[in-house]
Amino acid sequence: MRDIVRLLKLAWPHRAWLLAALGLSLATLLANVGLLALSGWFIAAMALAGISGVPMNYYYPAAGIRALAICRTLGRYAERVVGHQASLRILAGLRVWIYRRIEPLAPARLEGYASGDLLSRIRADIDSLDTFYLRLLAPVLTALCAGLLFIMFLWCFSPAVALATAGLLLVAGGFLPLVVHLLGRKPGARVTWTSSELRTAVVDGLRGMEELLAYDAAERQKERVKELNRRLLADQARLAGLSGISAGGVGLCSGLALWLALVISIPLVRTGSLSGPQMVMLGLFCQAAFEAALPLPSAFRLLGQALAAARRIFFLVDEPPAVREPHEPAPPPENAALSLRGVGFSYGDGAATLERIDLELSPGRKVAVVGGSGAGKSTLLALLLRFREYDSGSIILGGREIREYDGEDVRRLMAVAGQQPFLFNATLRENLLIARFGAGEDEMVAAARMAGVHDEIAALAHGYDTEAGEGGVKLSGGQVRRLAIARAILKDSPVLLLDEPTEGMDAAAARSLLERVFQYAEGRALLVITHSRIGLEAMDEVALMDEGRIVERGSHAQLLARSRRYRDMWALDDGMTER
Amino acid sequence: MLAAGLGIAGGFVLIAQALIVARVVHRVMIDGAGYREVLPQLLQLPPLMLLRAGLSWVSERVAFAASAVIRREVRNDLFQRLLDAGPLCLKGDRAGEVATVIVDGVEALEGYYSRYLPHLAVMAMVPLSILAAVLPADWISAGIMLFTAPFIPFFTILIGRGAERLNQRQWQSLARLGGYFLDRVNGLATLRMFNASRREALMIAGISDDYRRATMSVLYVAFLSALVLEFFATVSVALMAVIIGFRLLKGGMAFQDGFTVLLLAPEFYLPLRLMGNYYHARMEAIGAAERIFSLLDTPVAPRPAAPCPLPAISPLRICFEDVSFRYTPDSAPAINGVTLSLASGERVALVGPSGAGKSTLAALLLGFALPEQGRVLVNGVDLAACDPDQWRRLVAWVPQRPHIFHGTMRDNIRLGRHDASDLDILRAAGQARCEEFIARLPHGLDTVIGEQGAGLSGGQARRIALARVFLKDCPLIITDEPTAGLDARSEAMVREALNELAGGRAVLSIAHRLATLEDADRVVVMNEGRIVEQGGYDELKAAGGLFARMVAAGEGP
Repeated sequence: MRDIVRLLKLAWPHRAWLLAALGLSLATLLANVGLLALSGWFIAAMALAGISGVPMNYYYPAAGIRALAICRTLGRYAERVVGHQASLRILAGLRVWIYRRIEPLAPARLEGYASGDLLSRIRADIDSLDTFYLRLLAPVLTALCAGLLFIMFLWCFSPAVALATAGLLLVAGGFLPLVVHLLGRKPGARVTWTSSELRTAVVDGLRGMEELLAYDAAERQKERVKELNRRLLADQARLAGLSGISAGGVGLCSGLALWLALVISIPLVRTGSLSGPQMVMLGLFCQAAFEAALPLPSAFRLLGQALAAARRIFFLVDEPPAVREPHEPAPPPENAALSLRGVGFSYGDGAATLERIDLELSPGRKVAVVGGSGAGKSTLLALLLRFREYDSGSIILGGREIREYDGEDVRRLMAVAGQQPFLFNATLRENLLIARFGAGEDEMVAAARMAGVHDEIAALAHGYDTEAGEGGVKLSGGQVRRLAIARAILKDSPVLLLDEPTEGMDAAAARSLLERVFQYAEGRALLVITHSRIGLEAMDEVALMDEGRIVERGSHAQLLARSRRYRDMWALDDGMTER
Repeated sequence: MLAAGLGIAGGFVLIAQALIVARVVHRVMIDGAGYREVLPQLLQLPPLMLLRAGLSWVSERVAFAASAVIRREVRNDLFQRLLDAGPLCLKGDRAGEVATVIVDGVEALEGYYSRYLPHLAVMAMVPLSILAAVLPADWISAGIMLFTAPFIPFFTILIGRGAERLNQRQWQSLARLGGYFLDRVNGLATLRMFNASRREALMIAGISDDYRRATMSVLYVAFLSALVLEFFATVSVALMAVIIGFRLLKGGMAFQDGFTVLLLAPEFYLPLRLMGNYYHARMEAIGAAERIFSLLDTPVAPRPAAPCPLPAISPLRICFEDVSFRYTPDSAPAINGVTLSLASGERVALVGPSGAGKSTLAALLLGFALPEQGRVLVNGVDLAACDPDQWRRLVAWVPQRPHIFHGTMRDNIRLGRHDASDLDILRAAGQARCEEFIARLPHGLDTVIGEQGAGLSGGQARRIALARVFLKDCPLIITDEPTAGLDARSEAMVREALNELAGGRAVLSIAHRLATLEDADRVVVMNEGRIVEQGGYDELKAAGGLFARMVAAGEGP
């Protein structure tokens, strides 16, 4: 219930559109029921007039029939247009709302969802929420309003018919969907679960095919896929049967309503308290009234989905951010001198990811951090960018503890090229200009040149206007990385943080890139995280990390001379060729 | 077909029902009949209504059953086909995409088989039978029906097609809007790094608004088709009612007939109008079918028709004789004239720049592909003539990124010996240095490991792969740099385990780092698909070739 209230609140700014859609669908429904009932009354009255020879005014009813037909036709059109307007407006509102709410959560709080493909889930959930308003809320409210009006109308002619119809409407619109919904809950949940199991089994079978073949286990995996497939279809068949019951049931109720109306009115016609044409009208009216109940079974089905989607989205947006911004942030730091003293961090599973890290990174200093994967190097960057909160020790920036500043002020000083740089589905230009909105063309080109990617961009058919990302040009890993470096350079900040800048490049290219980067970083603080030994000789300090600790530090030459572990870690083919 | 028949039968019941209702009303209203006279007919109605509901339920089930059989077969065939095609056809990250076709693509066939096809027959038959019922009662109304009916499919197709295109373009751009949103959420970390994330909220709002306007301007037109359909169906019914009314007034027809027509008129247009709804299911299914067929056309890896039995394998001796291989007919050879031998008790390390053909050599030895030229001999028998499944029972394989299956730790370790006892599993786990972290898992061997090994470190995944090898116990072991990127402790453990495993067996290991070479008896250096050097570590280092250059690059200036 609380979730429903929250959902209604979200749509509140668009209430006028929702109400208009509701009103139109009500009007369209009434027009159709009115059309059939009036037609029935009309032909019956005309038939009686024809037999008895009593003249009747046929002008108004005939005009009424035509008017209702036109109303119905136009109403359907208007209903769809307004409904889509409402839906699109709500959708836009939902997207912005969700974006605003999860923006402070990135990336720390969203990482946990990475494997569970958070994104496609959000997308499906937003779509489910969208159906909540238009295919659930509106039909239910329309059916309620229409049902009341129908009963009131029938009551004027015969309370018994009104009660009978009310009962059948309740069965068709309430009881039947509810029963079908309850019976369908288990198979429905199983369908969701089995299809995700099936997907996992298929993906496992494809990604792990080498192992399956090598271990003679392919047959078993195939049996598993077959079995899940069979179970999925069996449950879907149950659901299809249920939806058949509800469709047949609504039809049956509407037929019975007509029948009961006849059964009740026949004696009334005999006693003269109801005219023949009125009986015809009531019968057709009762039958047609069930159009209101038609969308209800699917509305019930959607209710579960929509509420589950809402709960997932609310759960996500209600998470506290990983880093709490200070209430009264200190004024922006005056200089970019960074100093880490005894910094420790743990992801909360007991094991420390970073332990007692000391690092000095002031402008003019070049520091490299090297080590195996999982050594905690990238976590270090997240701490500096205020994406995560360190548990112990202190990080001093410009003379103050970094957590005293506003996160945006801290990030203003830092330019980053991450390990897995993200390119947006936009032009290369837009991707670069994210770093500095409104930077000039010449500045952008200069940055791209420095990162050694300008020539390759210029050689593309659309140059900087080439679309990147899905559906755009396929860039190599090395190109993406250099674009990210260009982006970081364009930002023009006093601290430059590069995560694996040369991965995927051959030795010569890596060397010349780093030379240019070193030149650019003259007078700035530079932190390079790397697997490659290229360029390490130019660093002021190299720190070797293992299991979250700095185990060795010194210049490249010192470490080569001193540490066997340091000598052993370099890949044989490092820098020999493009990977 | 049965489903369509049931739908049509439902149509007949409907007509009978309308005839009876009209008769009852006629007798009561015109003839002044009471309960007693119409009771028999009144009592016929509920069973008919029940029958109609029953038919609708059964036809739903039958239609589903037909589509279920098709989907079950197609899905199983697809999976089998990909297994037959072998792992090499899924290079790159096509697996996710292919899985989507197998799961969701096949699902999209449902609407076509269980709704569109049966409805096609219903649409052809039910209006026709209604027309047949109406014609004797009122030829004018029948004329109206006959005249207007073709307009509905005509307009559905004419306007529908244009609108479908517009609609689809519009839904595509809506999908793009969705894509834009997801893209920004995906890149939130990047946006925050550049303090651009708040600006982006305004962009999302602005773009949503633009899309809404563009979409609506198209939908205004697209919905006109619905307007036309509605117009024909509704206005025809209204027109019939008015005309019937006037004919009744003039005494030109019996009330019973007029009322029958009025009852049936909306039902006449209903199947025609529903066609539009199912058209979409057809479009979706066609799109999916294309992807399904292209997957079903994946070429199958060749297998010998009559495999010859494997020779006795102890001791094992493997020879590559002038072997060449290319992935596609027009690509450069991945392996070019390789001759190499490997025997039990020997540890051979393969080194070379990436793209040199090391992994391809391993794939050939595993029987994932057959040489285009030359032979791979196992104790003198050509591998191409043997049953690959039988051969692979003798080979253990530790890839660089082992695949961890969704399931329990137990099932993951006993991948190659499903009937292994817990005792054997724990022994293998101990040999692979896994027991310590398995003991820390909440449910030990019963712990379910997440999708694609979520929750395991790279070193743990690799040790699980080693445990599989220990459990399988076979004479040939192939590894792909099993210690790359591990922390110092994991690396030491994996190396220890490997050394233990190697005793007496033939081992081929692809190596990326100097440290890995120390345990090898022989180093084979590959470049551009050829073997350029081979020999002992020190010998090669002194020879001044590619290997010496690699070592020098590794040790740095």
